[in-house]
Amino acid sequence: MDNFKKILGMDLFNLFTNPMWLAYAIVFPLVLVLVMGFLTSASYGSTVTSYDYYGIAMMIYIIFNAATFSANGFMEERVKNPNMRLVYSPVKPFFIHFSKVLATFVFCSVTFTLVGAVLYLVVGVNYGGGYFGLIYLLMLLAIFFFSALGVMVCCVLRSENSTNQLLSIILTLFGVLGGLFFPLDGFGKAISAISWMSPAKWIFSACMQIIYNRDISMYLPACGVMVMLSAAAVGISAKLFKGEDYI
Amino acid sequence: MSTLTMNAGNSNTVNNSSINASTIGSSAMMEVTGLRKRFRDKEVICGIDFQVLQGEILCFLGPNGAGKSTTINIITGALRCESGNISYCGADIYRNLTAYKKNLGIVPQDLALYEDLPALTNVRFFASLYGLKGRQLDEGCRYALEFTGLMDRAKDKVSTFSGGMKRRLNIACAIAHRPRQLIMDEPTVGIDPQSRNHILEGVRRLRDEGMTILYTTHYMEEVEEIATRIIIMDEGRIIAEGTKEALKAGIDKERHYEIDASYDECPDAALLYQIGGINEVAINGSRIAIAAAKETETLDKIITTLIAGSVRINAIASRTANLETVFLHLTGKSLRD
Repeated sequence: MDNFKKILGMDLFNLFTNPMWLAYAIVFPLVLVLVMGFLTSASYGSTVTSYDYYGIAMMIYIIFNAATFSANGFMEERVKNPNMRLVYSPVKPFFIHFSKVLATFVFCSVTFTLVGAVLYLVVGVNYGGGYFGLIYLLMLLAIFFFSALGVMVCCVLRSENSTNQLLSIILTLFGVLGGLFFPLDGFGKAISAISWMSPAKWIFSACMQIIYNRDISMYLPACGVMVMLSAAAVGISAKLFKGEDYI
Repeated sequence: MSTLTMNAGNSNTVNNSSINASTIGSSAMMEVTGLRKRFRDKEVICGIDFQVLQGEILCFLGPNGAGKSTTINIITGALRCESGNISYCGADIYRNLTAYKKNLGIVPQDLALYEDLPALTNVRFFASLYGLKGRQLDEGCRYALEFTGLMDRAKDKVSTFSGGMKRRLNIACAIAHRPRQLIMDEPTVGIDPQSRNHILEGVRRLRDEGMTILYTTHYMEEVEEIATRIIIMDEGRIIAEGTKEALKAGIDKERHYEIDASYDECPDAALLYQIGGINEVAINGSRIAIAAAKETETLDKIITTLIAGSVRINAIASRTANLETVFLHLTGKSLRD
């Protein structure tokens, strides 16, 4: 366990000292929400503003980045070779890949919270008022799942390039199916049913129902989906991780 | 002590006097039997057996793709083999892989360093994974950085280091926990002669301090300089094993002449074969290679024959057996091929 803490510490250090990733995790979401909210402000009323919508929808989309961060933190050239030395050292293989999941989770949780706080203070995004705690917990579960997803895809494909290519397709698909860019309800029952295959749909629907209908019926199923998918991703990673892929 | 003189064109005398053979143990520290490894359809390690003796510098020599690094990676426990047994101090390494790994220091072929961190932080981090803490960790880091001559750059980021300094730091990260067995996979690739000499000198010092060292390279000169025993590999097989003296003795019955010549009419090899003791003649453009029995003095007759054939001799180089010729003799190809 001592070694796990050391590796986790190093992974956190690598994430928090990478200026490009910090900008991508903090500046990009802020700009995205503010620009989207400003451009579409005329299409929304005063009760539910465009900032309220994109403050949730785009923030969920931003959570997807956790998969990219964890995949790169796992296999990016800058850290891949030092990770090779971890494979040679007396460290349990599980520590090597799980520390990347946990480090990405912490990194994304901190940056996500920071961005959320700025959006709340600057444009007053509605995060559910008294239900804020529930929304926040669900978002954290989603961050954990996407962190685990990135590492899992790395373990399956064993290549940084292939992982990045596949992840960009998967994440865009999740975003579209989840209705983050535009609602899919008008595309018929089939598309609506398929959209539930996207984890984003579960999170987005649960958040919207809690914030605007004070309805928490979707909440536990959404949390359950995140927990199950996370457990599956971590389990698959443990099963497929091979230290020899680093050497 | 062994002294080897190489060919005249690249005259070089190597002295191994610092290696004290009496400290090499006779018992096997590690025993490898029937090792096989396959990558997809290709068998890259074909059932090899060898031992590692305590306190030796065992060099794996072979061309790129011979299976040296794969063998080394299997020994480290990082790469699984299809079949075979590896025992360390009498116990199967896979029975308690974590405990086994604590005995090892690994210098990988690629630089395994965090470039954005200072040298000291790198050494501290990797040494701490082997259980070093507090004062023991401080001393280990100081020892490793002083040993590699990087103490004065300890607080500098690795990204500011030269290639040779990074190579030395790569070694420092492997020795701070003072392993019993150090495994070095081509640690001098792509560095300047000064850093290379520093590393080779360091290897000898580590061995004098009691470390057992496994060293892979395709540079014959390095093996000549540091090895106490050599395993020559080619295409996944061990083709020869022993001390360099023993390996060379097996083929040290010939003297090789390389003659740089110019001529209007190609010399007749048959005339050269008529000289007693000539075993092989190869004429390739301006280069004439002749292998002659060592016990027969043939050079004056070769020169006379060539001059009589209107051949102008520009230069003559003579060499006796070295590891390159051993490899050539065993495989029919050059180490550099």
